[in-house]
Amino acid sequence: MGPQWDIQTLSFAYKGQGVLIDQLSFSLAAGTFTGVAGPNGVGKTTLIHLLSGTLNPSEGKILLEGQSVHGMSPASLARRLALVRQHTDMSFGFTVEETVLMARTAHLDWRGFESTVDRDRVHEALCLTETDHLAHRSINSLSGGECQRVFIARALAQDTDVLILDEPTNHLDLKHQIAVYDLLKSIQVDQGKTIITITHDINMAMQYCDQVLLLSPGYDQKSVIGPPQDVLTCDRIEAVFGVRVMRLTHNEHTFIAPIGQCR
Amino acid sequence: MRPLLTPGRLVRLVLAAALLMVSVMAACCMVGTETVSLKAVFAHQTPGQPNPDYEIFVKIRLARVILAVIVGAALACSGAVFQGLLRNPLADPYILGISSGAGLGAMVAVMLGIQWTLWGRSPIAVFAFAGAVGTVALVWSIGRVAGKYHVTGLLLAGVVVNAFFSALIMFLTSIANSSQIQTTLFWLMGNMTEETWDVLWFSGGLVCAGAVGLFFLAPKLNAISLSDSDARNLGIHVTAVRVCAFGMAAMITACAVSLSGLIGFVGLIIPHAIRLIWGPDHRLLIPLSALVGGTFLVLADTVSRVVVAPAQLPVGVVTALVGGPIFIVLLIRHNRCLGGRP
Repeated sequence: MGPQWDIQTLSFAYKGQGVLIDQLSFSLAAGTFTGVAGPNGVGKTTLIHLLSGTLNPSEGKILLEGQSVHGMSPASLARRLALVRQHTDMSFGFTVEETVLMARTAHLDWRGFESTVDRDRVHEALCLTETDHLAHRSINSLSGGECQRVFIARALAQDTDVLILDEPTNHLDLKHQIAVYDLLKSIQVDQGKTIITITHDINMAMQYCDQVLLLSPGYDQKSVIGPPQDVLTCDRIEAVFGVRVMRLTHNEHTFIAPIGQCR
Repeated sequence: MRPLLTPGRLVRLVLAAALLMVSVMAACCMVGTETVSLKAVFAHQTPGQPNPDYEIFVKIRLARVILAVIVGAALACSGAVFQGLLRNPLADPYILGISSGAGLGAMVAVMLGIQWTLWGRSPIAVFAFAGAVGTVALVWSIGRVAGKYHVTGLLLAGVVVNAFFSALIMFLTSIANSSQIQTTLFWLMGNMTEETWDVLWFSGGLVCAGAVGLFFLAPKLNAISLSDSDARNLGIHVTAVRVCAFGMAAMITACAVSLSGLIGFVGLIIPHAIRLIWGPDHRLLIPLSALVGGTFLVLADTVSRVVVAPAQLPVGVVTALVGGPIFIVLLIRHNRCLGGRP
């Protein structure tokens, strides 16, 4: 069996702007945990929008289980991958439960009502993310961390093989950052889902990810993908982020500590 | 806490609202300057001998009450859909220029002094309908060209077209004679008249079909009311749903406007009130808005024809005068509830 994701010479440029993603090729196996890292403006969010079919590539192909993502209908894509964005604005006061139930839209029959299976999935997702006690609260009344967990619950309730997240730990305190990564790891291990997440925290990436895709802005420095130990070397972090770092090892865990900016 | 929407709950609420609407309709048929005896209405009809009770009850009052239901349902239902599609709780059925387009159409018909009728409809109604539909098409295409932030583009296009057409209406008013102005003004304020049964059947069918069609788009409208890209990731063909929903909502609004002129407020406050009480789920919001909107306009229209009898107020005046305070009370009570929560 081939890899689940096969990205071939992917290039992308926004209209009227220079090339943002240039000839990127990589593949991801099913059931792996991948972190996407890189400096601001390098195209991380653009990349996951390409993967989720929201944007169309200028060149190259994105194959999910051998099928081009851009040939799929929104409904069939929504049964294969779920996306958690950084923010979703809520104009109307849907409750947490109603919001998570929307994940089942692609599974509804012609009458447009959820079956008991749909409700059970939603309940499971709420329990897994420990948001079941919030079920009847208005989504607008939640804190940032609670909101983030609710949208992860919605992605879980979508019941897909792939989960893509855009900086899920943004705005979260340390405890909730760890909680989100623990949750993602357990989803990967227990349910065998493929997880692709953007992260700014290279230490989190080091601890949780099976592989890291380090996107690089320059032409001299190619984007690389591999196990975090191999990808996140001091030299490479210096070249990509412009920051000098130290790698420390403690109990077989590697940590990266910034020292200062490069001159 | 509000329970989740199940088909059973939906049916119960819709039946209750329908029952309320029918009883209000019946009650309002009994109200008026002439006292009508139900016994006389249903008494055996002798051919050649007029039955004034029957004439008043069926041909005048019932026809008018049904017209009010059709118009109120259309406006409230399309208001709910426009608010969801534009993700803007301040949207109403007129926000994309339907009102000024229809107004301009009506004004032109009055100014040209056209006499012919189309399927028994006055030229004002026909021109208003054409103006409304044409304006939505115009705003839609401007919004598409205007850019990638489709919702903002649409809203801005609506505002600009509205302003432009309003200016044209003012220009026409300034060169019109006083009887023409009188006719148009009455139309612009929203005005109910007795319509023939053919017209009622046709427009009632159209509004019903529109509301049912919109109901089946409701789960998708729920997701679109969060964000377009989010809805797409949840598996919704956003553009197709949007075009269908806009088309149907604009059609029933144009139908309502051509029947009764510009009746404000129903399309704004009814969906809002329903949302405050029963939540924002479009599967419930669309049918309940239609039924409650119809009921509300029947009441408002009855007030408008009774309160200064034998003269009549424009019903648009009543909807705003009665609806505004009710809505403010609802809003304050709702905010108190929210304040009580952690």
